[in-house]
Amino acid sequence: MTLVANRPAAGAARPYTFPEIRRVAVAGGTVIAAHLPGQLLASSMLMLEAGAAHESAGREGTATVLAKSLEEGTRTRDSAAYALALEGLGAELSAAVDWDSFRVGVSAPVPLLLSAVRLAAEAARTPRLDPEDVTRVRDDEVTALRMDWAQPGPRADAALRADLFGTADRYGRPLHGDPASVAAVTVDDVVAYHEAWLRRPGVLLVAGDLDTLDLAALGEAAFAGTTGAEIAAEGPLAWDVRRQRRVILVDRPGSVQSTLRIGHRAPERATPDYVPMTLAATVLGGAFTSRLNHLIREVRGYTYGIRGSYAMSRRFGRFEVAAGVQTAVTVPAITDTIGEIARTQLDGVTEDELAVARSWRAGQLSVEMQTPGAIVGALSTLVLHDLPDDYYPTLRREYLEATVEQVSKAAAGHLHPEGMTLVVEGDAAVIRDELTAAAIGEMVDAEI
Amino acid sequence: MVSSDRSSPVVCVNLWYDVGSRHEPDGQTGFAHLFEHLMFEGSVHVQKTEHMRLVQGNGGSLNATTNPDRTNYFETMPSEHLELALWLEADRMGGLVPALTQETLDNQREVVKNERRQRYDNVPYGDAWLRLLELLYPAGHPYHHATIGSMEDLNAASLATFKAFHQQYYAPNNCVLTVVGDAEPQQVYALAEKYFGALAPAPDIPPAPPGHLAGPATTPVRETVTAAVPAARLYVAHRTHPFGTKGYDAVTVLATVLGNGRGSRLYQRLADGKRIAQPDYIGSYGVDLAHAPAPIIITATAKDGVAVDDLEQGLAEVVDSLVSEPVTEDELGRAKAMLTTAWWRSLSTVGGRADTLGRYATQFGDPATVAYRLPQWLAITADDVTEAAAYALRPESRVTLTYLPEETESKEGEKA
Repeated sequence: MTLVANRPAAGAARPYTFPEIRRVAVAGGTVIAAHLPGQLLASSMLMLEAGAAHESAGREGTATVLAKSLEEGTRTRDSAAYALALEGLGAELSAAVDWDSFRVGVSAPVPLLLSAVRLAAEAARTPRLDPEDVTRVRDDEVTALRMDWAQPGPRADAALRADLFGTADRYGRPLHGDPASVAAVTVDDVVAYHEAWLRRPGVLLVAGDLDTLDLAALGEAAFAGTTGAEIAAEGPLAWDVRRQRRVILVDRPGSVQSTLRIGHRAPERATPDYVPMTLAATVLGGAFTSRLNHLIREVRGYTYGIRGSYAMSRRFGRFEVAAGVQTAVTVPAITDTIGEIARTQLDGVTEDELAVARSWRAGQLSVEMQTPGAIVGALSTLVLHDLPDDYYPTLRREYLEATVEQVSKAAAGHLHPEGMTLVVEGDAAVIRDELTAAAIGEMVDAEI
Repeated sequence: MVSSDRSSPVVCVNLWYDVGSRHEPDGQTGFAHLFEHLMFEGSVHVQKTEHMRLVQGNGGSLNATTNPDRTNYFETMPSEHLELALWLEADRMGGLVPALTQETLDNQREVVKNERRQRYDNVPYGDAWLRLLELLYPAGHPYHHATIGSMEDLNAASLATFKAFHQQYYAPNNCVLTVVGDAEPQQVYALAEKYFGALAPAPDIPPAPPGHLAGPATTPVRETVTAAVPAARLYVAHRTHPFGTKGYDAVTVLATVLGNGRGSRLYQRLADGKRIAQPDYIGSYGVDLAHAPAPIIITATAKDGVAVDDLEQGLAEVVDSLVSEPVTEDELGRAKAMLTTAWWRSLSTVGGRADTLGRYATQFGDPATVAYRLPQWLAITADDVTEAAAYALRPESRVTLTYLPEETESKEGEKA
């Protein structure tokens, strides 16, 4: 035999470290930076307390239209000149909004980062916001959303969100709005949003070679001309889990797959159960060998992939399973999925499964944090959730030390198979009767 | 090949097998890719599902991809598990066939069909790439068929065919092994010898069918698809030069000038400017294939109320402008700056570095040639771009694929 039969043992592990973190208070704001010696690229992100939760009812998407309007020219140059200046540095602006923050990111070779941050700040702080441009960007965004909503997924996501949070709540409506709410956004809405939320200093996150980067100069560029106090974050939302299951059918005629979005509410990010919940979800639907992926993909062949996880922001959390399954096996795939969730809730996890989840989550803290962009993302988590500088080494230790009892207890307490909302986006003419006959839960048609 | 980098305690193991969908004969399309799936399903000393469990269960990330040119497999691990990764790769290189069962083949065939549904059949415009390849390359050319293959061919495939496929192509003499990250070269060479050293080379590996083409196409081709799409969209494509040639370096710069970023000609003239194209869906890029003239794909999607003919005319004017209006120094500088950042970004992980080294060793026989790519891009002149456009982007060699919505968009679609 030419192959070596025995699986090799692990070598000696090097101790885990997160890059050294430095802080500089300058020009009314704070720079938080991670030192990556020798990196040729550097990454930065201006993070503002300006998340989409600030948008008015019926005008969801205002912050997204603003984000897309930032590059339509500034007080000192038009959009073509701005694009040439920024892209001439090899940099591109990424302006994005989530529930908790508004982020303006830019990456560039280390010697060019300061110029790139100056340009990013120019767009974020002093955009031209010409009414004609904003109107056109708004109209383009309506079209872009319609393009996006023609894909499988976004309508199912919206249906699940609406059911879990209620459409009366901002959190019950899509993060980036829907075609109707974006169409209702006015120039005044966009200008007012900028005025209210993008003129405060915020935090500048930087990852790169700090032996070369001048953090004070970067901070001055990011915070120049800013005004206003930072806003205190609001507390978590009150929440509950449904008593019975509900099935929501989203019709997508001719669809060759059914898109599944199955979930329920869960605690927010600050929950003390964060680590055991994450590990429980990893066993259930996170790793490739997870219970869901193993059964639905590898044993049954119903799907290209199925994932289950907790998504947690400052004010809310939720559990969600997502997959695209072949239309003909929609009901068996749902039945199997519910079965695995129920089994995990009832019986917890095994030591073998947890060993995989622990090591994977711990190892990913090294493997998936190699680039300046990834490190900036990690810094943003620290800032957003008010976590200490030694958070990542602590998190790694907590993953590795979690016991079967702790993780099984989290599964028992934070999975609710009897109270889930099951959104099925597919060809209703083909799947409706079978879904009804399966009696999974009360069935309704989505108004989407 | 080893590139040592001790800055972080992670290491990537990457294997490039010099087999892709270009090797597939008629009636066996999709085999190289389905085979990639089978490589995760166990080998002589690795149980079914154990490969994934051992990599993820030791903290690693892993994947594999198949394209027309080649198949690559890679995992990035905490560096104390380097030896495990090498053992796993050797076991499936040298010991896959005895472990391959009909049940595994049947299951992964279903998974691949689901992959096709999810990525190509169930999304608007999802089959554009499949259609473009058939329009760009003549029947019988190794790039004529898409890597995902035909479901009929996959259905007809027997277990024996897949076992033969492995014996034909999966051997040390058809593979480049690259290790990048927290490891010493001498240690890696010794481990490679230990785990791969006794594996037998495959005799007489048949070459892929020749990819030679006399030059760009001489007759324009067009196809119009009416489908469930939300807006009219155009794909314009041409065959250019093979990846790795000076001509293709010029095409890379050209594609960046033409359609990458808000400062590009397409964005400035059609999304801004005339405002006939949707700003989120306009661009151009080369597909880096090395064994025949590689395609450039140029795409634009009509804004509401814009006739697709007007969009096509506008797109053609911008493409033709690359010949009639020389590229300015500003445009060239912008493109080169963006390519420089993209290049360093692609090398900023151990995985990116390993894959790039594996590519250059496999396709050009010498990993050191990787050092020339960025300087060669930066050496491209405005005249080179004009010349590349005059050679490759002529109207008579153009492939035009148009998607039209099935019916006029009803206002129902806008309901919240």
